[in-house]
Amino acid sequence: MAASKASRIGEEIWKTRIDKVNAELVTLTYGTIVAQLCKDFEDDYPEVNRQLDKMGYNIGLRLIEDYLAKSNTMKRCSNFRETADMISRVGFKIFLNITPQVTNWTADNNSFSLVFDENPFADFVELPDDGRAQNELWYSNILCGVLRGALEMVQMQVEAHFISDVLRGNDTTEMRVTLIRYIDDELPPEDD
Amino acid sequence: MSSLPSSASTGKESGLRVPSNGKTIYHRPINRTKTSELSQASFAFLFSEMVAYAQKRVKGIQELEHKLNVQGHSIGIKLLDLLLYREPARTQLRPQNIVALLHFIKQNVWLHLFGRQADRLEKSTDAEKPDEYMIIDNEPLVNQYISVPREMSQLNCAAFVAGVVEGVCDGADFPARVTAHTVGEGEMWPGKTVFLVKFRSEVVEREAFLAKS
Amino acid sequence: MKVASKGHSLFRIDNTRRVWFSNSQDKIDILETNSKAETRFMVSPSWPDTLNLTLVSPDSRTVFSLIIINKAGGLIYNKTFHEGGLNKISTNDYLVLAGTFHGVHAITARLNPVKPVAPPPTPGTNEPPNRPEPSSGLEVLETENFRMQCFNTLTGTKFLLFTETTQTNVDVTIKRIYDLYADYVMKNPFYSLEMPIRCDIFDRKLLSYIREINNR
Repeated sequence: MAASKASRIGEEIWKTRIDKVNAELVTLTYGTIVAQLCKDFEDDYPEVNRQLDKMGYNIGLRLIEDYLAKSNTMKRCSNFRETADMISRVGFKIFLNITPQVTNWTADNNSFSLVFDENPFADFVELPDDGRAQNELWYSNILCGVLRGALEMVQMQVEAHFISDVLRGNDTTEMRVTLIRYIDDELPPEDD
Repeated sequence: MSSLPSSASTGKESGLRVPSNGKTIYHRPINRTKTSELSQASFAFLFSEMVAYAQKRVKGIQELEHKLNVQGHSIGIKLLDLLLYREPARTQLRPQNIVALLHFIKQNVWLHLFGRQADRLEKSTDAEKPDEYMIIDNEPLVNQYISVPREMSQLNCAAFVAGVVEGVCDGADFPARVTAHTVGEGEMWPGKTVFLVKFRSEVVEREAFLAKS
Repeated sequence: MKVASKGHSLFRIDNTRRVWFSNSQDKIDILETNSKAETRFMVSPSWPDTLNLTLVSPDSRTVFSLIIINKAGGLIYNKTFHEGGLNKISTNDYLVLAGTFHGVHAITARLNPVKPVAPPPTPGTNEPPNRPEPSSGLEVLETENFRMQCFNTLTGTKFLLFTETTQTNVDVTIKRIYDLYADYVMKNPFYSLEMPIRCDIFDRKLLSYIREINNR
């Protein structure tokens, strides 16, 4: 499917099929989740990153059904480039009303970046000024887990992680997504 | 706003790095997201995971409700300031009595978070309990997709919203305990919820004292 | 104007689209049926000019029951909407039905004729490798008295809807059920994935939706 068509679909679903709530309810709720994790794990930020990824994974396993139902998706993507476009232009569009840029593809078409010009989770967020958070915490790490969980349910094993974040003082917010393998294309091992 | 030099507004030198364009959250107009929208599904999934996470770390229903309450509390404190700031200058005053505060919660807070006012506000009819008030929501948005299992029927996940209300009360210097209770009303409002606001005794005393003067 | 009241089998429609009334010898021909299942009829001169009837006959359009099968072939939901539509079978029989269907579905998917596979991308070009569409498995089972349609989601969850053989718009009905599942099962923190579905609100929403169809 062409990227422009994916955009139209995403727009259309966002306009007609999505129940909306005030954006700040979502932003504040995400904020309180991260703050609670920082408290529970005593500002062990690498552990907070892991927990956020895990929570995202749990969400992704469920969210995919909502994605498929809302987008009325009946066919799977024919290649990983199409998957990337659908993630950005339909997935991010209908859940967060943003369409991160899909860019920086590797030559083998197995790895790309999502560059976020906007990130509703991080609106009005400033990391703790403790000399560590800006080096260790990936504030929006839940999104990596969501992608991992959601794609696993449609038989794609991916790896996702942030490589930069404006909250850390970087100029962009960028996530790397890499396809490890298509899960269903493997035959069970032969008995010898 | 955009011409502010970075970190000058905070008074003390910030140790945080900022992007090379110098933009920080202080350059963002605070009303920018006032009316923007996100999908309810995103909220529902986050909230669901918040409940599931809390549930793994507690022993009983009371403890679970307390955890949710705490997570809402910090939101309430922030919302009080944010919503008052957005009021026109002449109504920016903090609520100065119990009824004004509860109206602010029923109207402004509910409208902002849930897109509609709470359904009713009541004072306890029990003369022994002059410190108790009730905010009633026929269909709490946070519970829209949640079916509480029978063995946990005492639980109401709107404890999170009770925490928000408690945060607003505490922030306004009307310290209170707020709890959420399901009072289902047949087929029509099976999830009807009462937020019981119990003010600390000094709040009621202060109010009585101010009324006399 | 005459409107058939809900819940009464006032007429039946034969396969020539002729309407027979149960309480008289009158019979009329259908002119057209609109999307709201309202039907206009050609009437005999002795009748008023037009006759608007809403199709309500309970035994002509009925959703009998729904079962949901998880990715491993386990029965996780089973609900009957219309008493007397299908004979009762034991829960154990339903479990067997779910498991058996799951197996047959998988085998029929393998049996599907081989589709031409797109050639692998030429080395050196930037074409992404293509991922072929999986073949579909068994989708419909039909008996003299009921029709069972399967909707297999891309995640491998199966929704099986048992209806009257003449039931229309089953696709739409199943999709709507999938919507309800995405809302009231997936967004419920107390539901464990792949486990039996016990969600009051899902039951309520589903029942009221199906009731709407069955009472049409």
